[in-house]
Amino acid sequence: MNNILEINHLTMRFGGLLAIDDVSFSVEENTITSLIGPNGAGKTTVFNCITGFYKPTVGEILLKTNKNFNLERMNDFTIPQKAKVARTFQNIRLFPQMTVLENLIVAQHNKLMDASMYTLKGLVNAKSFVNAENEAKELAKYWLDKINLIDRADIEAGNLPYGQQRKVEICRSMCTEPKLLCLDEPAAGLNANESLELNELLKFIKKEHKISILLIEHDMSVVMGISDKVVVLDYGKKIAEGDPNTVKSNPEVIKAYLGEE
Amino acid sequence: MQDKKNISIILKDLLFTGLIATILLIPIVGLRTEISTADSTGLIFDYNFLIAFIVIAFVIGVRFLFHIYWFSKIKKTQKEKSEKDKKLFLKKLNLYLGIIAGFVAFTLPFMPFANRYVVDVATLVLTYVMLGWGLNIVVGLAGLLDLGYVAFFAVGAYSYALLSTSFDLSFWICLPLAGILSAFAGILLGFPVLRLRGDYLAIVTLGFGEIIRLILLNWYEFTNGPDGISRIPRPSFFGFPFERKSDVTTFHELFGLEYSTMHRIIFLYYLILILALLTNFFTIKIRNLPVGRAWEALREDETACRAIGINPTNTKLTAFAIGAMFGGFAGSFFATRQGFVSPESFTFIESAIILAIVVLGGMGSQIGVVVASIVLIGSTELFRELEQFRMLAFGLAMIVIMIMKPRGLLSNREPSILMHTKKNE
Repeated sequence: MNNILEINHLTMRFGGLLAIDDVSFSVEENTITSLIGPNGAGKTTVFNCITGFYKPTVGEILLKTNKNFNLERMNDFTIPQKAKVARTFQNIRLFPQMTVLENLIVAQHNKLMDASMYTLKGLVNAKSFVNAENEAKELAKYWLDKINLIDRADIEAGNLPYGQQRKVEICRSMCTEPKLLCLDEPAAGLNANESLELNELLKFIKKEHKISILLIEHDMSVVMGISDKVVVLDYGKKIAEGDPNTVKSNPEVIKAYLGEE
Repeated sequence: MQDKKNISIILKDLLFTGLIATILLIPIVGLRTEISTADSTGLIFDYNFLIAFIVIAFVIGVRFLFHIYWFSKIKKTQKEKSEKDKKLFLKKLNLYLGIIAGFVAFTLPFMPFANRYVVDVATLVLTYVMLGWGLNIVVGLAGLLDLGYVAFFAVGAYSYALLSTSFDLSFWICLPLAGILSAFAGILLGFPVLRLRGDYLAIVTLGFGEIIRLILLNWYEFTNGPDGISRIPRPSFFGFPFERKSDVTTFHELFGLEYSTMHRIIFLYYLILILALLTNFFTIKIRNLPVGRAWEALREDETACRAIGINPTNTKLTAFAIGAMFGGFAGSFFATRQGFVSPESFTFIESAIILAIVVLGGMGSQIGVVVASIVLIGSTELFRELEQFRMLAFGLAMIVIMIMKPRGLLSNREPSILMHTKKNE
């Protein structure tokens, strides 16, 4: 198996605070890797470094798809555009006043922008643009079908219940046609039933679309149920790495979560 | 029981209103200083409490009406008008208002009551409608609070004035050039403010508006400073001037009409009407294109936009540039209509009025801008006789709209793309 993402000696410093301290791990192609750890361990900071929202102080973040990208040198918006890394947020960030369908269409902005020749073709309703827009709509339809929200496509995204918003956000990331999907606590606030549905959705994405997933999660039913590999962070340091069962019995991990006797 | 309680609340409130009104109005309205007639050295107080009491009674009456309105509103909500019905109603209202407004706009100059004054006011209102529509792109769609929009209006007006007076170019060449120059001004402003959001952006754009005005005021060699630029060529009907006599064929000769000064006024009216409609249709169209959707997404959540690969820099700059371009078009129309431009026409209050039109009309609502322009510009014109009370009427209109419709007169967002067509519903 090849690695799709390699993180080497990642360090992030905010003034005097060392948020991430020399963390290295990798994500294999077509697997689900979970990043866990107690609150404040630096998980979201790792995410923000991968997706370009933070520039790491030290370290290399290498994405190996058909081309190699040094993510630490790229802008936050060029990472989803060129390197094809998509992300979701811990607190849902949909476009609340736009409809669900519009949310998914906006995610295909760059593709449509090219098709409309920077809106020139769009202004004259050129056929190639209309076709591209229909294709975009089909893709959105495909994903809405997967989460059973096709009936609510024309509702404002902000009016959906919380669990459905979570799913729409994942679908919006999928509409950018990513190679690596980074999910920041996708199961937060979901009930047991919704968590199960989420598991199925993530498994489906991995299996049918051959997409690697990196996720931060506190919900152990999700982590243990679907992860191929688990990386544990504590106080900005990596304390364990491996398949879910070995990590579960690792004394360091138990200490981090439950404290010492 | 409930009613009795309500009545006592109303009475208490009315008493309180009366008290405040008395404290305020007795000195303001009841007392006046007059130059003493007995000896011409000092001022004396003139008492007129009757007027003060009439005004106080009026204030209390309005407050009472407000209470009645408020209670009837509570009763209405108990009936539970569903969200969907409300939306459908707004949609229909928008459509009908649009049709009526369009019809009135096209036939106005030929109505029996349409004298020069009416057409002039209508032209002024349409200028503001166009500016409102232009600003709506920046504020309503892209969500960038711009307090210096009049700067682009000024750039357009001065571009037109300078190009036509120095190079003798015709209106139809100057118009697009002025638009392009304004768009550049928009990009110029856009670059430094890209990182700013909300209040900070508003302050910088406010500063930009003032900078442009100060440049126009002080760069005497170029802009003629406070004297302004006069004798700006009037527009011609595609080469046929609106003159009584000219070397070339004039407009009234071309159509075999009696010469009338109204011809030019009506032509200008239709010119701004077409320019405004152009702005409108362009906005409606671009809203449904990827760039328009990206603007709206940017308004909703910039971080999420970055996460799905939208370049916020380019998206914001296009919004600024296109908004500014329409401001520039309106500016060149303003210059050719007045025949004279000076920095005085481009003060901050103009920006504030245009922004007020957009906000009161309902952010992003096209027909709302029309209604708000008519209410705000029309009301100040209506109260022209009462000169000093004009701004009072303006403020009153704003307060009333904000109390009754905090999200604007006609705020109703239509989805730019639908999964289910109406037939399936």
